[in-house]
Amino acid sequence: MEDLVSLIFAQFLSGLTRSMVLFLVASGLSLIFGVLSVLNFAHGTLYMLGAFVCFQFWNALMNVGVGFWISVILAAIVIGLLGFIIEITLIRRTYTGLQLGHTQQLLLTYALTLIAMDVVRLVWGGRFYSIPRPDIFSGSVSALGVQFPSYQLFVIFFGFIIYFGLWLLLFRTKLGCIIRAAVFSRDMVAALGIPIKWIYTLVFIIGAFLAGLAGGIAAPLGTISVGMDHSILIECFAVVIIGGVGNVTGTLLGALIVGLVHAFGILVLPQLTIAFIFLILAIVLIVRPSGLLGVEV
Amino acid sequence: MMLSSSNRWTTLLLDKLPLILLILIALFLPLLFSEYYLLLTGYILIAALLAQSFNLMFGFMGKLSFGHAGYFGIGAYTVALIATNTKIPLLFSIPAAIIVTGIIATIIGFFCVRRSGYYFAILTMAFSQLLFVIVYKWYGFTHGDDGIHAIPVPTFLDSSVAQYYFNLVLIGIAMAILWKITFSPFGYILRCMRDNPVRTEFNGIKLTRYQLIAFVIAALFAGFAGAIFTIFNRAVTPGIMDWTRSADPVIMTVIGGQFSFFGPLIGAVIFLFLQSYILGYTIFWPIIIGSILVIVVLFLPEGVTGLYQKILKAIKQKHQDKTKSELNKY
Repeated sequence: MEDLVSLIFAQFLSGLTRSMVLFLVASGLSLIFGVLSVLNFAHGTLYMLGAFVCFQFWNALMNVGVGFWISVILAAIVIGLLGFIIEITLIRRTYTGLQLGHTQQLLLTYALTLIAMDVVRLVWGGRFYSIPRPDIFSGSVSALGVQFPSYQLFVIFFGFIIYFGLWLLLFRTKLGCIIRAAVFSRDMVAALGIPIKWIYTLVFIIGAFLAGLAGGIAAPLGTISVGMDHSILIECFAVVIIGGVGNVTGTLLGALIVGLVHAFGILVLPQLTIAFIFLILAIVLIVRPSGLLGVEV
Repeated sequence: MMLSSSNRWTTLLLDKLPLILLILIALFLPLLFSEYYLLLTGYILIAALLAQSFNLMFGFMGKLSFGHAGYFGIGAYTVALIATNTKIPLLFSIPAAIIVTGIIATIIGFFCVRRSGYYFAILTMAFSQLLFVIVYKWYGFTHGDDGIHAIPVPTFLDSSVAQYYFNLVLIGIAMAILWKITFSPFGYILRCMRDNPVRTEFNGIKLTRYQLIAFVIAALFAGFAGAIFTIFNRAVTPGIMDWTRSADPVIMTVIGGQFSFFGPLIGAVIFLFLQSYILGYTIFWPIIIGSILVIVVLFLPEGVTGLYQKILKAIKQKHQDKTKSELNKY
């Protein structure tokens, strides 16, 4: 009996960790999708690049005490900058296209995935990389009969911090108010004289920053490799759709659902867990595409 | 318009010239080129049919499906499984593949056509990934990651020339049927739905019903392409139905031109030729096709066929202007 409790608790924490990483990545995707109406296929790529860039910085700063943390922040900033470049050179041209340029945006961001994949192969080769956990969190904590790596607890904690940070940004600042309004109605925001073009760019930068940050934070949890972007992308779509587009609490909820379903699904039906998530995604899209907390479509 | 009859013929010829050239080359390929090109063209034909079936929904109906490879895979695996587990001849396994694909597409399509835009894309992607995961994980039935190999094929297909013409004829017939559908009243209703769905509905046409029909038709052709693929390739792996493979017909269609019937075919030719050529020199193909895709999306929204039409129009215009100015002299 105790073993069962320990197992469930261990899976719960593991799932929660996964949820938080998903939340970090998906929150950016959700904001971008909600405000710009752009489904950023390149979001997984930004996450992957965040991990690789973080590795690069960490490699250079290995001997500095807080090297890892600096690398994470630097990586996030670099990816945010990359987001800025992507938005103004590519995405901006598509807002006035056929059907609001949705097809073009999808194709452009998909093309970016292809380009980035080769860039990564060119710069870093096809091998795996890994970053060890930072010294402060290299141990493990025990609770309820389970030894749990403290870094994963940190990731969970960090995820919640970011959630509260985003919530504060969106609900307690003027900028956040503008962003929420833009999710609801772009045209009204523009009609009020707010430079919507730059709001778009800013949101894209924030989204990219979050993805890069997620890449850096998640790097010590697993390996850094070229396939990272694809594996996280569909789960991110699931998170955003299930939770509701453009709603940060919804994204958190979606992330919790997907992460925990995955963690417990592996216990029950290991082979079909990922299929089960697609099924949930499909059902949500069919029954309520706006997701749990999203704006009605 | 003072177009003399010879002018009319010239215009018609120029318009269709690339197509006529392609057809001639395709018919006489074995005489002109080596076996390598026979094989490559085989794959091009299959990819072209897949892309054209995709374009029925995309270019002519306005809905981008990101899960078309799933139906390709179903068709391919149906033939593979029938061929390796039973003694049923090819003649029956191909229709079986089409029927199976049709059934699955009807169920999936029923749910998908109720959504549009991004939601449609993600939904089709999710279902197609679902199919992929089922095929990938169901080791007992589909041999999962290993795939199914050494698929027995009738002996008349042993020679690569015979195999080539087999592909050409079957895919040619399929394209002809697709042509008929695209330029039938049904096909024009699809264009109406693309251009103005509200008005179409006001004309008494139930959008979801027609879109479902188009969805299933597109999937049927995709399944057929998959069946031909299995026969040609003699092996199948789950990788052919992963969602990244669903992007290939999209890329081919966009490069070739989504508003033209033969656009996807041209796109498939360009894509696969380029791919095989570049992979001969370097592994860095994705960055090249990615860059091409960016350029085409931003600067060539109607693809290569659109560009060709524009050039033809410019030449015609110049010719008309010249004729007019000469006439004005009198």
